[in-house]
Amino acid sequence: MLNYDFDWAIITSGRYFEWLMAGVYTTVQLSVVSIVLAFLLGLIIAVMRMSHVSPIRWFAYAYLEFTRNTPLLVQIFFWYFGSYQVLPRFINEWLVTWNFEFAAAVIALTIYTSAFIAEDIRSGVRSIPREQMEAARSSGFTFLRAMQYIILPQAVRITIPPLINQFLNLTKNSSLAMTIGVAELTYQARQVESYTFKGYEAFTAATIVYLGMSLVIAALVNIYNRKVLATVKGR
Amino acid sequence: MIRFEGVHKWFHNLHVLNDINLHVRQGEVVVVCGPSGSGKSTLIRTINQLEPIDKGKLIVDGMDLSDRRTDITKLRAEIGFVFQQFNLYPHLRVLNNITLAPIKIRKLARKEAEEQAMALLERVGLAEKRDAYPAQLSGGQQQRVAIARALAMKPKIMLFDEPTSALDPEMIGEVLAVMQDLAQSGMTMVVVTHEMGFASEVSDRIVFIDEGIILEEAEPSEFFKAPKHERAKQFLKQVLSPMH
Ligand SMILES: Nc1ncnc2c1ncn2[C@@H]1O[C@H](COP(=O)(O)OP(=O)(O)OP(=O)(O)O)[C@@H](O)[C@H]1O
Ligand SMILES: [Mg+2]
Repeated sequence: MLNYDFDWAIITSGRYFEWLMAGVYTTVQLSVVSIVLAFLLGLIIAVMRMSHVSPIRWFAYAYLEFTRNTPLLVQIFFWYFGSYQVLPRFINEWLVTWNFEFAAAVIALTIYTSAFIAEDIRSGVRSIPREQMEAARSSGFTFLRAMQYIILPQAVRITIPPLINQFLNLTKNSSLAMTIGVAELTYQARQVESYTFKGYEAFTAATIVYLGMSLVIAALVNIYNRKVLATVKGR
Repeated sequence: MIRFEGVHKWFHNLHVLNDINLHVRQGEVVVVCGPSGSGKSTLIRTINQLEPIDKGKLIVDGMDLSDRRTDITKLRAEIGFVFQQFNLYPHLRVLNNITLAPIKIRKLARKEAEEQAMALLERVGLAEKRDAYPAQLSGGQQQRVAIARALAMKPKIMLFDEPTSALDPEMIGEVLAVMQDLAQSGMTMVVVTHEMGFASEVSDRIVFIDEGIILEEAEPSEFFKAPKHERAKQFLKQVLSPMH
């Protein structure tokens, strides 16, 4: 340990720096694509979970329980190794021509995260006074339209902070994608380590990047809470 | 326009509406009053089926609310409802509060909807607040916006559930003035209120309800001069006393 030569230069410039940066890029890409899809899916599941039609509600409930209570790693493997069996062939063929590992990771992260987002949105909806729905229904909006124009826009504003938290979790969870060979940040750090034996430096760099992303996002939440939520929330 | 025939409603064991018979003709202004918990809100909320009825017949604008096939959503678009707590949409500016339903439900073009909304804001005296958020308005101002929002759908009937009871005394007048103006324009109105000045000057009829039963139904002059029921006498004494 004491004989270990720290060599920060090796990861702050040149080839290995580029590897790490490529990893950062893939991590960000994976996280952003997945969070957008997870948000949309979460929105749908949340509305289904609140539906007055029992089978729809039960389906959403089962979806939530199932996805939240199985390990993410298992889900990633499921979509990576199992998608040949469950997805239609033309989708698989299309995925392979694109980037199959990346796609499987996106699917797994999207589905996993959507369950948590759905629950966040649902508690956001529940915090909107019942009278908002009544006011909307009295103007002649159907349940779904009232949700779309009146309830969800308010609920989503309230849900933004926990949503950003989910984005953070997702960014960290995306490191599991290395197990199926997606060249994201953790994967690249490991690559650098195996080429240079400078594991300490490589993983310190990765840690700093993850931490940096978290801090930036936390700061954004803070600003959002102060600037946006304060003006809209007072009722 | 609105006809109750032997309408009943229960909340579990509580008989909130007990054999309600009431007819409101087009252009009439009917005030509903009664003690707290007597069923006033429930009564007025059945008219746009925010509360469904359990028994009897209720016809609104020619549509039978006791018939399951009636398109309630469509009927609601024809009925304006003004709440005690205003219930404006807090995430939308005043103008958008008013234009939302006309644009989304009536399919009005945005420009047309905005012109109409501005005309309504002029009418309630709040044109300069078009870009404010509800939280930036006083209670009286919010209630006037809520009335404008309801009017934007060009309703055939306007329902008011204690529109001034959440307001500071100095703001009550501005809201009542808007309602009086509306009554004079020929709007069919049902108003739950304890504002007896408004009731005597503006309404065509007063309905007194207690424990879910309509005890009296009379013209204002009659009702104030000689309430027939003991409960109504007590009630009047209470709301008219200067201590109230
Ligand atoms: N959703 C509900 N479930 C159960 N009971 C209810 C419900 N809504 C109202 N009630 C009860 O029904 C009765 C009538 O209520 P309602 O709100 O119609 O009275 P109100 O005359 O409007 O009273 P207030 O002057 O206080 O507004 C009350 O005893 C109330 O507690
Ligand atoms: Mg009431």
